[in-house]
Amino acid sequence: MSRATMNLAPTRVAAPRLSHLSWLLLAVALAAGFGLPGVVASVLVLTLLTQAVIGGMLAVGVGFLMRQNGVVSFGHAAWYGVSAYCLGLLLRHEVVPAELALLLALGVPTLMAFLLGLVIVRVPGVAFSMLTLAVGQAFHEFSMKAQGLTNGDDGFAIPLPDSLFGLPISVVQQPETMFVLCWSLLALVIFGLYVTVRSPFGRLTEAIRENEERARFIGYKTVLPRAATYAISAFVAALAGLLFALYNGFVSPEVLHWSLSGSALIMAVIGGSRLLWGPALGAVIFFFLKDLAGNLTEHWPAMIGVTVIVVTVLMPAGIAGTLAELFGRLRKAGGGA
Amino acid sequence: MANALLIQILNGLVYGGLLFIVSVGLVLIFGLRRVVNFAHGSLFMIGAYVGFSIATVAGFWAGLVGAAVVLAVAGALLDVTVFRPLRRQDPITTVLVTFGLLLILEDLAHTVWGKETRSLPLPEMLSGSVDILGEPFPAYRLLVIAVAAAVGIGLALWLRFSRVGLFVRASSVDPVTTAVQGVNTDRVSALVVAVGTALAGLSGTIAAPLLALSPSMGGSILIESFIVVVVGGLGSFSGALIAALAIGQIHNLGIIYVPWAATMIPFLLMVAVLVWRPTGFAGSHV
Repeated sequence: MSRATMNLAPTRVAAPRLSHLSWLLLAVALAAGFGLPGVVASVLVLTLLTQAVIGGMLAVGVGFLMRQNGVVSFGHAAWYGVSAYCLGLLLRHEVVPAELALLLALGVPTLMAFLLGLVIVRVPGVAFSMLTLAVGQAFHEFSMKAQGLTNGDDGFAIPLPDSLFGLPISVVQQPETMFVLCWSLLALVIFGLYVTVRSPFGRLTEAIRENEERARFIGYKTVLPRAATYAISAFVAALAGLLFALYNGFVSPEVLHWSLSGSALIMAVIGGSRLLWGPALGAVIFFFLKDLAGNLTEHWPAMIGVTVIVVTVLMPAGIAGTLAELFGRLRKAGGGA
Repeated sequence: MANALLIQILNGLVYGGLLFIVSVGLVLIFGLRRVVNFAHGSLFMIGAYVGFSIATVAGFWAGLVGAAVVLAVAGALLDVTVFRPLRRQDPITTVLVTFGLLLILEDLAHTVWGKETRSLPLPEMLSGSVDILGEPFPAYRLLVIAVAAAVGIGLALWLRFSRVGLFVRASSVDPVTTAVQGVNTDRVSALVVAVGTALAGLSGTIAAPLLALSPSMGGSILIESFIVVVVGGLGSFSGALIAALAIGQIHNLGIIYVPWAATMIPFLLMVAVLVWRPTGFAGSHV
């Protein structure tokens, strides 16, 4: 081998092409979203489902970070809440047109997360979790203390315009239409993350997750991809926060509280983060369990605490991961027969 | 003016001292088990309630000792039932399990002590104030400073000069090698976790007359002590001491001079330290 052919620059990893099946699944998911409000007659169930899908979006952001960076965020409510406040404040003070406010509500938290990510992704594992908790709480404290800007503890109603991008505002306020919008966006986000995970960038972040030192030794920069992954997961959380703000038309410091970050994390853990759609399934289970528990017992926090412990210890892949494993085993058994 | 400033510095020392007692418990547990106990703030809260219940029956001092003893037993149980079985797993697993525990403990406090906030009266002999350079200063706050100093000095001596302290220091540098040398790290760990949670209980009761007792009171102290531990360097005893005292002063002076930004300053300090040194200013040794 001659010296001249030795290439010291990192080689690009070839990305596998997307299968027809993944496109088909996306189409089925989208169609199901449009069909469901026709099937589900109860407005109450539809309202619950809409909440679950918005919560699921936040959980998918948390789960993506767990999957790609191998770290757990206890503070994703920060990006959810910053997005909601961004929309609320821009509309309240009539700073920019409503359409631009929507885009800024997504862009601002994503950019903030990227810049913060450049600092905090360098901190290893458990300390990262501690930091995200502190960062999230700092935003919460700010929203409580900055009375003049945010109206403190009481929050404020968001003055939504009559129409957005030509659609009447009722689209985002009624559960029948809002459910379809949220569901479609969730399906597109999961599909987008699927494409990201399979791209060279996705492969690189997985390599860094497995062994950062080796990735660095073979010539890759490791901080930037990790910060970018953090920003992507923050973007997904911001989208969830934006949908929440549009649907509720109201914003208060609760959207920044660490218990929301905790709930999103619980959904991701219950569903399992190895599969991108796991956290969304976890969210649906979480909301229906909560609704059920509300009628039966006052001890919902203890119940969810026990659930988290049991799933973490006995089912580390989560419910989605366990289901996928069972399905795989069944298919193998069927093929062998 | 100078005297007023001295009083403010003492107030900062009260808060910093309290933060130190809570944080050092986390540091000890991290040193041995390489895990972070997310239920530590809830143990602080349970400590405050246990101290409150004992104090209303048997007096403040019995409450103080009782809370430490009860929480020490709880800590030993925590080590045996959670930290030891999970020691070969990813540390994140333990974090998630202790997070589940946090939810259970808050619910427990709701059930046992109710939702309404409670308060523990000051012990009678310390309810007055002391003159310091002509300025009155609450006597109870001096006790808090004294207890924090006693905990700091006691722990430093224990870690430096006792046999168990030697094991703790060795184990926090390299748990595997320490175990290979014949140290029963599991037994050392149960003891150290018990000491750590006992300090959480002690600080809960000490803080009870200064704060309102509620099931959610563990949240903010957990977050502040996380900032202390990360800024000081995970697992560093001296780092936690310096960080706790610094954050105590900054927190207190911030409330007086820049009240709107006071809660943000420790967070900004943390980001600044991490930009400068990602492992905290004392690295990661005891």
